[in-house]
Amino acid sequence: MLEVRNLCAGYNGVGIAHDISFTVKSGEIFTLIGRNGSGKSTLLKTLCGQLPPVSGEIFIDGCEKSGMSRNAFARIVSAMLTDRPKTDMMTCREVTETGRYPYTGTFGLLAENDKRAVDEAMRLTDTTDLADRYFSEISDGQKQRVMLARAVCREPKLLLLDEPTSFLDIHYKLTFLEMLDKLRRERDIAVVMSMHETELAGSISDRVMLIRDGVCKGVGTPAEMLDKHTLTEHFGLTEELYDKYMNNVNQGQ
Amino acid sequence: MKKRLIFSFALLVLLLIVFIAVSITAGSVNIPPEELLRIFAGNPENETASAIVLKIRVPRTLAAAILGGALALSGYMLQTYFHNPIAGPFVLGISSGARLTVALALIASAGGALRMNSAVMVISAFAGALISMLAVLLMSSRIKSMSLLVVCGVMIGYICTAITDIVVNFADDSDIVNLHDWAIGTFSGMKSDGLAACSIVVFAALAAVFMLSKPIDAYRLGEGYAVDMGVNIKAVRIAMIVLSSLLSGCVAAFAGPVSFVGIAVPFLVKMLLGTARPIFMIPASFLGGGVFCIVSDIIARTVIAPSELGISTVTAVLGAPVVLVIMLRKNKENA
Repeated sequence: MLEVRNLCAGYNGVGIAHDISFTVKSGEIFTLIGRNGSGKSTLLKTLCGQLPPVSGEIFIDGCEKSGMSRNAFARIVSAMLTDRPKTDMMTCREVTETGRYPYTGTFGLLAENDKRAVDEAMRLTDTTDLADRYFSEISDGQKQRVMLARAVCREPKLLLLDEPTSFLDIHYKLTFLEMLDKLRRERDIAVVMSMHETELAGSISDRVMLIRDGVCKGVGTPAEMLDKHTLTEHFGLTEELYDKYMNNVNQGQ
Repeated sequence: MKKRLIFSFALLVLLLIVFIAVSITAGSVNIPPEELLRIFAGNPENETASAIVLKIRVPRTLAAAILGGALALSGYMLQTYFHNPIAGPFVLGISSGARLTVALALIASAGGALRMNSAVMVISAFAGALISMLAVLLMSSRIKSMSLLVVCGVMIGYICTAITDIVVNFADDSDIVNLHDWAIGTFSGMKSDGLAACSIVVFAALAAVFMLSKPIDAYRLGEGYAVDMGVNIKAVRIAMIVLSSLLSGCVAAFAGPVSFVGIAVPFLVKMLLGTARPIFMIPASFLGGGVFCIVSDIIARTVIAPSELGISTVTAVLGAPVVLVIMLRKNKENA
């Protein structure tokens, strides 16, 4: 589904993440784990086309990304980033509907199947009740769910999510993971995301990539990568600190 | 939602028709309605009345409608482009830039260096608008704060206006009769060939903007998400800049400075529609701008008749309070 070869991602030609290579299959959830500023967001922004790659190649379904039309790419890949749009008199339904953009005609009017996809996505993310409220007037967690609905209603093959759970309460964190799991099973969607909650990342991801200072420190299954030893080293923690606060969480798994 | 939209558009069209009628009827020479009907039917009893209506009042009214629409539309696009509800051709100095180049072109024509016609007017205004716009863009790449950007735009406007005033004062010695009126701002100078030229430009631009309503809709979520939707962001940005400069340049060329319409009208229209979707906002702003400017023009030429107020005097009185309301609302939102 997605293949990244020797990708260097960064701003204005200056690399932040270097020599990143990995592949993600359909139906696979692939999670980037690393500290703030490690290059996760830069990498995701490059994958979704917001930043041009400094060097390296990105293949979607076997096609080189730079050779695809914008529309063809947008139909396959949809993204939810960390920045929340500042909207003006836009209802949550309207924000969600923009996700159907690659499928609508010259004037952006929604057809029946577009409306169905929007309804379905809003139901999945539990945002149906927010439909007529203004996006600018809802809470951060609610905004996050609306942006998720927007990303999902496109019915993409690849979903790129930058910290999708950060503003959610525990109820929505877990229902969100359940939704991802469902999308992967029912629609065979591939997901590449960044996440700070290592315990949650461990239970949902098929594979994780540890990234530090813009360098890939290893790719593997959560069991291989998210053990106490690797995590304390990766996040620069002492064992005491880890034991004091994190051990509790991991006992549940 | 649907009902409200239909109601809003019906109201705008109705207001436009009513005020066009009022504008044609009102004036220092009293022309009774029966005579008006005869004039439009082509068999007037009074040739002077006919000339007043067809050569003065009708072109002036249509100019107010078309140029008002152009201003509102230009303002709407600038607000969308900068994600700033108080951006507009006047506050960003774009109108003033256009006036400066038009003034220079008029002086050149008085000196015999250039033959003045509508095309030259439009082209010189467009060039001036675009130069100011590029100056604003250059600053916007360095300044992230939107209020600072507006302050910079106002400064550009002052500089251009000052130079224009100097130029116009020099021109007073030579015999450019209309330049002074134009420098204050009025819809009165419109002749039928100018009207034809600016209708072509404005309606072509309106059609182009309407065709862009889908990418403009995507642009409302910000650039990052627009890219995610597959929008060619560079092309859309350039199109928005060129079209808004063309529209505000056209107004500056034919009517001089007309302030606040570009900010007040899109806001009022948005409140009326209850939505900010471009596909509705674009035609509604255009209609609303027309209504706003016709009303302002009626006021400008009736309150101190037979003398006239500058059009900007009236639009400022009507429009500036709206801008204050916008800023207060914005402030509340951020608090």
